[in-house]
Amino acid sequence: MTTDIKTHAIDISAMQRDQRELRLEDEEITLQVKDLRLSYGEKEALHGIDMLIPKNRVTAFIGPSGCGKSTLLRCFNRMNDLVDSCHITGEILLDGDNIYGRAVDVAELRRRVGMVFQKPNPFPKSIYENVAYGLRIQGVKKKRLIDETVEWALRSAALWDEVKDRLHESALGMSGGQQQRLVIARTIAVKPEVLLLDEPASALDPISTLKIEELIHELKKDFTIAIVTHNMQQAARVSDYTAFMYMGDLIEFGVTDTLFTNPVKKQTEDYITGRYG
Amino acid sequence: MRISFSEWTRSGSPWVWLNAGAVAISVIMVIGLLGLIAVRGLGHFWPADVLQATYSHAGQESVLVGELVESEMVPAAQLRDSGIEVPEGVDHMQRDLFKVGNRDVTGADFVWAIDDHVTARSYPETLFVAEREEWGNLYGYLRSIKQNGELVGQYDGYDAGPEAAALWDELQRRIERARDLHAQIESIQKGEIGAINYEIERLRLKERSLELKNVSDPAPYADIEARRAELNTEYEALQGELLELNQAMNRDSFTAEVANGSTVEVQLSKVVRAFQPNAMGLFDKIGHYMAKIWEFVADDPREANTEGGIFPAIYGTVLMVILMSVMVTPFGVVAAVYLREYAKQGFLTRVIRIAVNNLAGVPSIVYGVFGLGFFVYFLGGHIDDLFFPEAKPSPTFGTGGLMWASLTLALLTVPVVIVATEEGLSRIPRAVREGSLALGATKAETLWKVVLPMASPAIMTGVILAIARAAGEVAPLMLVGVVKLAPSLPLDMNYPYLHLDQKFMHLGFHIYDVGFQSPNVEAARPLVYATALLLVVVIALLNFSAIAIRNHLREKYKALEM
Repeated sequence: MTTDIKTHAIDISAMQRDQRELRLEDEEITLQVKDLRLSYGEKEALHGIDMLIPKNRVTAFIGPSGCGKSTLLRCFNRMNDLVDSCHITGEILLDGDNIYGRAVDVAELRRRVGMVFQKPNPFPKSIYENVAYGLRIQGVKKKRLIDETVEWALRSAALWDEVKDRLHESALGMSGGQQQRLVIARTIAVKPEVLLLDEPASALDPISTLKIEELIHELKKDFTIAIVTHNMQQAARVSDYTAFMYMGDLIEFGVTDTLFTNPVKKQTEDYITGRYG
Repeated sequence: MRISFSEWTRSGSPWVWLNAGAVAISVIMVIGLLGLIAVRGLGHFWPADVLQATYSHAGQESVLVGELVESEMVPAAQLRDSGIEVPEGVDHMQRDLFKVGNRDVTGADFVWAIDDHVTARSYPETLFVAEREEWGNLYGYLRSIKQNGELVGQYDGYDAGPEAAALWDELQRRIERARDLHAQIESIQKGEIGAINYEIERLRLKERSLELKNVSDPAPYADIEARRAELNTEYEALQGELLELNQAMNRDSFTAEVANGSTVEVQLSKVVRAFQPNAMGLFDKIGHYMAKIWEFVADDPREANTEGGIFPAIYGTVLMVILMSVMVTPFGVVAAVYLREYAKQGFLTRVIRIAVNNLAGVPSIVYGVFGLGFFVYFLGGHIDDLFFPEAKPSPTFGTGGLMWASLTLALLTVPVVIVATEEGLSRIPRAVREGSLALGATKAETLWKVVLPMASPAIMTGVILAIARAAGEVAPLMLVGVVKLAPSLPLDMNYPYLHLDQKFMHLGFHIYDVGFQSPNVEAARPLVYATALLLVVVIALLNFSAIAIRNHLREKYKALEM
């Protein structure tokens, strides 16, 4: 196991070297947030957020508990619609179109913007059926197409070799880390453009966490990724851009390396050096 | 080591004892209840030894032949009051109930006798019992066997011997032959003739319906007439066959000497079985016992339900409960889904929830009245007007029947299913729903594909509770379709196979009927216990199968450890 971690450390430094060449101005933008305000009943939880999520990059959201980072992430696929008292103003543009527009089909939006939750939430079905679920929802009937997509998704989630012999066993028999990778496979099987990860590794052991992080690094070739994490080392390891949020405000947003080594705002510096959080 | 009382109290031990005691008492009561009905009910089928004795009563002596059913102690004063001589210095005397049978000879088949007055007791081996289709059991000595009125065999003694045995074997052979013929006749009557009668009735209704529609074209009438003629020919043929079989069955008879010395002649076609209990060994008795139990479970009732089996009642109960489950489950689940998933949670949903819960507490007879007024008279009446005008004035659905009974019980149990399903829905982790929604599923798709399958064990719990309540319900059924004796089963080989409009028999009502409406109370009493035991067994089996399904579902949709 120790050798694994060492190799991994080398990977990380390679990732960090890439980042020095990043500039937000050069990026193609997938999601654009414009003056987003969200309130639960009387209480405002997000006070006018403006930011960009660049295409095929990993954007991390960090900040202390209750700062609104998960709430913001859930705005990207309108998961907050499920909360009755939730009220939203402002715009989020996905490829230029407002996802809060009148004619938007929420189910279609959620297919384009997939989400992985904090705790693994596989359905009580077989591994195969879990991954095929999104396809079946979309009305895909061809068995061959489903077979191929399931294999592709499981391979992409680095799970294929572990489960190929027990595809039709219950997904609930897998370990927590495997379950979380299954959920990622399930999400990418419908080929979304954006992948939202809400603290995907917080319920997992360190080895599983490493696997997820490697996976994120692989997946950014094909998907735009936004990840909420509590763990600043994780943000530093996996992300290209980082947003620091505090009390419902976006305090600082920039290239991860810069933000961690040379933060502009004092609040950011205090947080990343562990003075509060 | 001694501890003080206050310490003992503080330690909580008294509570533990109290709680354990309460549980123990409950368990003992349940076991006692089941034990009582099992012993009383199952003992009835055991072939008891038949006693022959001299009974001195009011200065006269007579021969008593019968089986001892039960004994009780009676105060001497009470006996003296009724004019029975009781020796001085005796407080209590034992009084015995004997089943003496031979109702056709003596008028009553049970006799009370003071134990001390029954003397010279013996258990002769040649004494035999014949169970008959009418007049109950016959107890006596076999005297002769006749074929077409002519003597085939004869024996006048009372002792066991080769001669008696030969006659006995001859009787058994001939009874077996008569039973075979009887079974053939039954099968023709219930099967082929039943089907013909059913079709003739349908033809009559079809013709009537044509008349009502003022169809003047003679062609359909001619078709009906032709088919009817065809059926009538078939019927005639079968009637001829039946006549022959009947003659063959009625060929033999036997004579027997009964307790008062007179000789009785009985057609073998009327005999269900004959046996000599005093000559039977333990294994013979066990075999006999099993046969009797099987008859009880698998045969039709005889003699105003006091003899024979209760198969139609078991069948009716199970079928009704299954139909009820089939009706109540979708209805309750749909209602619960709306209440929990779609309705805006607020004052109104709270009121509805309370109302639903209270509905479960409404006395069942009220549902019976509602079922009679709404389902039977209103709905049934209108269905008859619309779809079965040809059958009028005799009602089709406008009278109690299987469908209305099942519907009434479904209504009675729907609150249970709603509450259990809601409970189940509320326990599905939010994360799983979100997982499905996040994949682009709509709320309805999420419900159908993820939430409801995961809630299915809870739904089954609701169905189990519903079955437990509905299977034992009698009061409402008496108003909406249960009868004392149904001529045919509600599920048979005649199109449309399941006859929802038919009346049916039910174990619970059977208990009431046999126990309280029977002309022969003493004979019926053990059957009340046996039927009660069977009702418990049937409900338990229904429940166990539902529980097995639930456990299977639970295993399949094991809730996530969240």
